[in-house]
Amino acid sequence: MVTHHIAKDYQDALEKLSEGTYRILAGGTDLMVRNRRLSETPVPFASDVLYIHNLDELRYVSEEKGHLAIGALTSYEDLLHDERVPTVLRDCLRILASPAIRKMGTLAGNIGNASPAGDSLVVLRLLDAQCVLESKDSTRTIPYKEVVTGPGKTVIGKREIIKEIRLPEASFDKTVFWKVGGRKADAISKVAFGGAVKFSDENVADFRLSLGAVAPKTLRDEDVERGVKGKTKTEMKDSAEEIVAAYAPLVRPISDQRSNAAYRKEVALNMIRQFITSL
Amino acid sequence: MTMRIKEDISKAIDKVDSREKIDGSAPFTADIQLEGMLHARTFRASVPKALIKDIRLPELPEGYFAVTREDIPGKNIVKMIYEDWPVFAEKEVNHIGEPILLLVGPDKEKVQDLLEAIEIDYEEKKPVFDFTESVVDFSFAKNDADTAFREAEKTIEKVYETGYQEQAYIEPQAFVGYKEGDTTTLVGSIQCPYYVKNAVMETLAAGENEVRVIQAPVGGAFGGKEEFPSLTACQLAVALQKTDRPIKLVYDREEDMEVTTKRHPAKVKMEAAIDKTGRITGMRSHVALDGGAYIGLSGVVLSRGMLAVTNAYTIENVAVKGDVFRTNTVPNGAFRGFGAPQMIFSIEMFIHHIAQDLGLDTYDFRRRHLVKQGDRTATAGLYRDPIILPEMIEKAVEMSDYHEKKKAFAESDEWKGIGMSFFFHGCGFTGSGESDIIKAQVKLRKDEEDNVHILVAAVDMGQGPKTTFRKLVAKVLDIPLEKVVFNYPDTRYVPDSGPTVASRTMMVVGGLLARAAKRLGEEWEESSEQVVVEQYKQPEYIEWDEEKMQGDAYPAYSWGVNVVEVEISKATYEPTIKNVWSVYDLGKAIDERIVLGQIEGGQVQGLAYGYQEVMGHNNGRIMQKNLTDYIIPTAVDVPKMKSLVMDNPYPLGPYGAKGVGELTLVGAAPAVALAIEDAIGRQIKKIPATPEYIMELIRNG
Amino acid sequence: MAEVTFTLNGERTTVDAPLNMRFLDVLRVKKNLTGQKEGCGEGECGACAILLDGHIVNSCLLPLGSVSGRDVVTIEGFKQTERFRTIQEAFVHEGAVQCGICTPGMVIAAESLLRHNPRPTDEEIRIGLSGNLCRCTGYNMIVAAVKRATKRGEGLW
Repeated sequence: MVTHHIAKDYQDALEKLSEGTYRILAGGTDLMVRNRRLSETPVPFASDVLYIHNLDELRYVSEEKGHLAIGALTSYEDLLHDERVPTVLRDCLRILASPAIRKMGTLAGNIGNASPAGDSLVVLRLLDAQCVLESKDSTRTIPYKEVVTGPGKTVIGKREIIKEIRLPEASFDKTVFWKVGGRKADAISKVAFGGAVKFSDENVADFRLSLGAVAPKTLRDEDVERGVKGKTKTEMKDSAEEIVAAYAPLVRPISDQRSNAAYRKEVALNMIRQFITSL
Repeated sequence: MTMRIKEDISKAIDKVDSREKIDGSAPFTADIQLEGMLHARTFRASVPKALIKDIRLPELPEGYFAVTREDIPGKNIVKMIYEDWPVFAEKEVNHIGEPILLLVGPDKEKVQDLLEAIEIDYEEKKPVFDFTESVVDFSFAKNDADTAFREAEKTIEKVYETGYQEQAYIEPQAFVGYKEGDTTTLVGSIQCPYYVKNAVMETLAAGENEVRVIQAPVGGAFGGKEEFPSLTACQLAVALQKTDRPIKLVYDREEDMEVTTKRHPAKVKMEAAIDKTGRITGMRSHVALDGGAYIGLSGVVLSRGMLAVTNAYTIENVAVKGDVFRTNTVPNGAFRGFGAPQMIFSIEMFIHHIAQDLGLDTYDFRRRHLVKQGDRTATAGLYRDPIILPEMIEKAVEMSDYHEKKKAFAESDEWKGIGMSFFFHGCGFTGSGESDIIKAQVKLRKDEEDNVHILVAAVDMGQGPKTTFRKLVAKVLDIPLEKVVFNYPDTRYVPDSGPTVASRTMMVVGGLLARAAKRLGEEWEESSEQVVVEQYKQPEYIEWDEEKMQGDAYPAYSWGVNVVEVEISKATYEPTIKNVWSVYDLGKAIDERIVLGQIEGGQVQGLAYGYQEVMGHNNGRIMQKNLTDYIIPTAVDVPKMKSLVMDNPYPLGPYGAKGVGELTLVGAAPAVALAIEDAIGRQIKKIPATPEYIMELIRNG
Repeated sequence: MAEVTFTLNGERTTVDAPLNMRFLDVLRVKKNLTGQKEGCGEGECGACAILLDGHIVNSCLLPLGSVSGRDVVTIEGFKQTERFRTIQEAFVHEGAVQCGICTPGMVIAAESLLRHNPRPTDEEIRIGLSGNLCRCTGYNMIVAAVKRATKRGEGLW
């Protein structure tokens, strides 16, 4: 018999998690779809549910030393209107889903859902985000890239909750977020792309690329990126095809009801090429 | 506040039913709550082709019951144009989702639990998905295509393919039913109250007064609620014989998308015979439709598609064949355009491709073959009425800057393109349908307060008859709009004026209402009850041979020109529609703002059919069965659209009106396909022309 | 089952129902407020839209458990306001209503947009409506209606 609980406050949430196994429901925009059954019937869940949407203490954006701290339940809508939030994340959220989903959707929810096509995850990966995971007795801060391990799979422990997402302070000369969906708004990505670059004089000081919906989890390869750093802007642009070729074997999309592998792959590589040559 | 329609009838007035829809108070079927109401859910086949060996129901608690084919008093066949569709599966199932039985009870969740506990043993058979089993075939010819092809300087042959299109009305299928004494009453989201009534009467073996059908506000239909609701209604009607409580049956979106009728996927082979002067002297075509598991209306869809073969062109020698193929997939059916969109796409692309292959200017080539008043149709009927296409084309060219843009885009490095389609739509039921099958009747009843009640079975599903019929009658009688009443059709009170389909509502039913109103006006007796009845009479000049498919397939034709401008991303192959311009001849707009709504809505639906909406099946299972996966446009996808309505009154239409509802969809897909083709320099032979397909064309040269 | 209290159309309301009941069903079945419609059940069509703390959300995705202590306004509540009347007149004037099933959701979307952006551009209106699907109108007449509402409703938002 599955039970449902509204967390009274953050401590209560941690307490409950230490005592039992719960599906944590934040905005619900993923869970309420995935578990839905029939109209006019309650949504069935396989395990007890902890409703935390009311925990306003997890809604904040604050500039800390070396990073921007974002409370786990801060809605996409709130992030969109906060100028402290990096441009590339706001660019992503602006075209993510719909206004109604953006009001309820949270970064924490997206991380917990761990979809290979998650748009905000592309940006978290790009920005080397960190996740603060807390339980009643512990707190740990680990890089986002270690949190999501595969489709629907995370390392978040049974007793843990995502408390906060941290975006390390960074400055870029250019960032982009591009996506291709079935239409121009409110579409799940066939391919999503995040790019960030910083120059120091004529040399590439920082070069980052992340891709969504083309692999079991967000794709980013620091080895390829290292190979680009140190080049001059001209060298980088001249070697665009080589860089694209380096990514090619890593881009392994699937064919599904939305698109096919060949298209996803070609578009992903085109986006990489376009990013580099447009700099 | 009284309003008389003093001015030109085209001048827009406020729609009479907007307010209750805006504030959410209009009672759609699912909104209806009745005392003691039960819920019904449908148990469906999970395999595409099988014999049913055994069904074991779980123990049903008090108040819960099953409804099976054994409960059917009359025929286990849904009365439709072609009668092969069972109400409940007999001994076999022929498509995934085929209804087998209903489970009914007071708690919806419990009903679903019981449904999921049903056990069924199948003996699976090999399903058929390709075009091998023809179940309907037609052919017609005009003059002598064989000779034209034999003597041709050149012949060209191409094959075109079109995909499924899902109506995606925002309100899923829904019915509420209850008994009133001996009468089984059904309230539903439907286009054709009498289709439903007649079907239910046969299934229940019931008399005229024992079945009553009432239309509720309809949240979109587009043909998807033309014949399909008859199936659900028959099932519900049978269920209602087993209880004295009301029953509600509402489809979930995924259920709706998986099991209801869709636009027939088609494969159209086109052949042209060209003479020395570069004129098309003969055209042959074969139209293949994927009918799905049951025929239903597929034969009529096929014939309308075939009849559109020469579209806006006059070709001397024509030979057309067509087949509906049975496959073990969801039965396909009516969708705005009804066979024409598939053919109009094919012929518009074909005539363009012929010109390209011959090295001729496409615009000039098409203009050269343009139809004129006095020409013979593809079935040797006569184009009796003025055809103003040349003027329309000129206006479209001017509005869009077509020639300048085409030239500029050809010289540009970017993938920009512009495409133009010409098209027609036959107004009303094909051939002798109106006189032999429908036999429409309308009634006007004036009460003692001199209110005039419109009694017809025509359904307002958003396209506005609730407003335009009242406007029409008010103007003919020169009485205030407020004195004209038009309630949602109830078969208890209205005669059968025919189904709300085939772009016939204003032209035929409105035409009858105008005649009835004129007569009422002539016979008007103040403060007394009067009834005037008008019966459809086929215009004498219409000659149609159903067997040979020869003569006047339609009494009138509406015409259109669409121009679409696109830009395609070289990185992602995504098309962006920049602009749409269109010119229409629909005779006369009974309300220009309502007509504008039909223009813009139809165009967006037609455009998306051409480049965006993707639906396929995998071994008979629909792959895009929700609104996340089946992509229809949002407000962000829609470009600026500019349209012009010409004045070309049709003498037999009320104030000159012809058909509108489908015309505005049928030309959009070829226009966008031609624009994309223009942008990328490759021939488009398939829609939807998705980015994936565009990439394939670019890659494979 | 649990008792959940929230503000509904200006009135403090307590509902005794499962926390995993969709709020759309709480409204339509328990409260008989049928102005919000079910078009898809998956947060895609927007026909179920309501205002939660002044912002549009899809009530088909909102569990009762998330509504505790919140402020809810449905079309039934909103229609008492002058803003609604302004939007309604604009929709009527522009012919923006055909079948009407998407319309209450569009009205809620318009209100949510204008509350946060009283003078939106054409593009911003389209984005504001991007979570509300319409199959009848092709959207442009609805966009024109929202534009008209902003012009007619000077000072309201």
